[in-house]
Amino acid sequence: MKALIYLTKRSFINNLKRAVTKPTTLIALIFGIAYGAFVIFGLGVMAVGVHIDSVKGLLAVLTIWSIYNTFGNFLGYSSRKGIIFRPGHAHFVFTAPIDPKLVLISSAWMNYLFSIIVWLLIGIGSLTVFRIPILSAAVIFLGGCVLELAFEAAVMIFLYTNDRVPEKLMKAIRMGIKIFLIVCALAVVLYFRKNGLTLETAWALLDMPGLQMIPVFGWQIAIYRLILLGPTVLNVICSILYLAMAAVSVIAAVRMKCDGGYYEEAAKFADDYADLKKRQKNGEMVFGLSGKKRSFRRVREKIAGKGAQAIFYRQLLEYKKEKFFIFDKITLISLVLAFIFSYSLSDSAAESGVGQLFLLGVVAYVSLVMSGYLGKWESELKNPYLFLVPDTPLRKMWYATLIEHIKAFVNGCIICIPIGIFWHVNPVEIIFCILIYVVIQADRLYTTVLAQCLLGDVFGKTGQNVLRMLIQSALLGAGAGVAVVVGIFVNMDFIFPIVLIYSMMVTVAVGVLASLRFNTMEQLV
Amino acid sequence: MLEIQGLSKSYGNNAAVDNVDFTVPDGQVGILLGPNGAGKSTIIKSIAGLLRYKGMIRIQGLPARTVEAKKVFAYVPEIPNMFDALTVREHIEYIRMAYNSDITDEEVEQILKEFEMDDKQDKLGNELSKGMMQKVSICCALAVKPQVILLDEPMVGLDPAAIKKLKEVVLELRNQGVTVLISTHMLEMVENLWDIMFVMEKGHIIGSYTKQDAEGRDLDDLFFAMTGGEKE
Repeated sequence: MKALIYLTKRSFINNLKRAVTKPTTLIALIFGIAYGAFVIFGLGVMAVGVHIDSVKGLLAVLTIWSIYNTFGNFLGYSSRKGIIFRPGHAHFVFTAPIDPKLVLISSAWMNYLFSIIVWLLIGIGSLTVFRIPILSAAVIFLGGCVLELAFEAAVMIFLYTNDRVPEKLMKAIRMGIKIFLIVCALAVVLYFRKNGLTLETAWALLDMPGLQMIPVFGWQIAIYRLILLGPTVLNVICSILYLAMAAVSVIAAVRMKCDGGYYEEAAKFADDYADLKKRQKNGEMVFGLSGKKRSFRRVREKIAGKGAQAIFYRQLLEYKKEKFFIFDKITLISLVLAFIFSYSLSDSAAESGVGQLFLLGVVAYVSLVMSGYLGKWESELKNPYLFLVPDTPLRKMWYATLIEHIKAFVNGCIICIPIGIFWHVNPVEIIFCILIYVVIQADRLYTTVLAQCLLGDVFGKTGQNVLRMLIQSALLGAGAGVAVVVGIFVNMDFIFPIVLIYSMMVTVAVGVLASLRFNTMEQLV
Repeated sequence: MLEIQGLSKSYGNNAAVDNVDFTVPDGQVGILLGPNGAGKSTIIKSIAGLLRYKGMIRIQGLPARTVEAKKVFAYVPEIPNMFDALTVREHIEYIRMAYNSDITDEEVEQILKEFEMDDKQDKLGNELSKGMMQKVSICCALAVKPQVILLDEPMVGLDPAAIKKLKEVVLELRNQGVTVLISTHMLEMVENLWDIMFVMEKGHIIGSYTKQDAEGRDLDDLFFAMTGGEKE
């Protein structure tokens, strides 16, 4: 255990040292803490504003936390993905003479830290927002935190080290939990639809005796009710059941034999997690660990095109092998956004008479939402073969990003056509909006390359993104400003052509500058 | 001594290793050879305790998964994975604590010097090149002061000086009575090191030779005779 504590301590200290010396990380850290404090303060103010700053309000918070924590832990630990292991663990920890249970307990320190922070916030909130007596707040904090952590550790050990329960059964239980949660959510929605969404109906829902009778999280809620509202037959019985279950779980976890069988999944998780982090760092949109090898379609086709064109045709071939061709999560998000905007704003947009400007606003908004997405093309710049292709840098850049422009066109159509139809926008203006969307996306790509050129790795991805946003907003903002002035004082019909032509000019200029990056692999800085 | 008895490992319906038996006696250097996909890595990972398997693996007579067996066992994986936020020296300190190793500071300095890492002790894991990581991995394994050591493709990524040093270290370990198992494709690199060889194909050991049985024949002659390939 001493070795594991040393490992965690030194990693923490070195990471902190590195964060302090790296300005971007430090700024991000300060900003993150400030933002977190702001959100928490805002939630406190909101709780007072909607009059849930009472014992019942605290009970509601504890109920939601119990449900989230109980099921979240089970889903994570039963699939052996709840603890973050790194490839270094497989090399240095799993092979070391350390009890596998200790490895498990020590590696989950981030999970405990998260729980403790949540409980600290609940404790502080109990006193400041929900105004419960200090003794009850202390009991809630200590009782909740200690009991929950003990039970969580026991569940974690049981689920990770247990090799007896077949994986198929575990999968079925996980699926059952997901279905249960969906059914619960639907039931809550139906309940509020039937009874109306008021504080009284919400409290009545929380007071339902059946809630406390549900094993595990219901029993946990019973303990909170016992502390906060005083004893009833039901909450005393359910509290005893929870305490007994927690005690039995801890004893079982201590007694369970473990020879490190879970290292197989943990090592795989470590590799998958490292891969996920790498892909996220490269700008890919990855939301979770799939754990499965990606499968590709079989396509028998030769790569056509000469020189830099071959880059485009190679990418096209790669996309043909993908399950959904060029359609990805961005396409899905575009569809969802199109659906939401088409429905939610159709009346006000159509009635305003300037639906086309609303649509232009949506295009600007979606471009902003998608600004973090870089796409596959960026990996081209890490491929030495790109620089060996005997062609001009400008052509290489054009063909390396051409497929992104096609994707932007498809997404632009998905967003603009349905919204335009619902909002009764003139077809010509819909086409203008699609083209503007494509040009803004292209501008974003080239400005990203330009920012990389100018900053290199000195300020990391964050620095590059900040610079990109500055360049992009300065250049495109000026054009948008001119277009608005012309639109107001001359003619509204000029707005779209001005925005499109100006954006194209800016994009071509930025593209020519950015093509320098395609000359050599080495960055300018 | 390293004993493998009836080792089997499957991934789904695919048997990667099927009922494999072999033993590397005390103080001998065993080499595990085989084409890609033969099952070498599966065996190595099973010995290192990173996979579930059927059968029995014993290290110095103790079941490999026990803490006692792990105390006398060191492992150098094919791809070294450092902790990003730990320095080279801290990796070795961690090993010293985890294995309760009695290695002295002077001995640590000596090992690091031999592998030309003494001036890089304060470098973090993520600041090292692949070759340097491999050197740290070897240094950490030596810091265990093991009785059984497992080296998976240890020469990959090493510079010529480090390869030479590693060969000397292997012979030194053998002289100290340490059992060594090396899995490699680089036959010429282990030509003068081995005492016993095992050749794997399609999840089975298809043959083995001791140095005496080989009667002076080259390692690649023996290998290609067993696998049916051709020597270049």
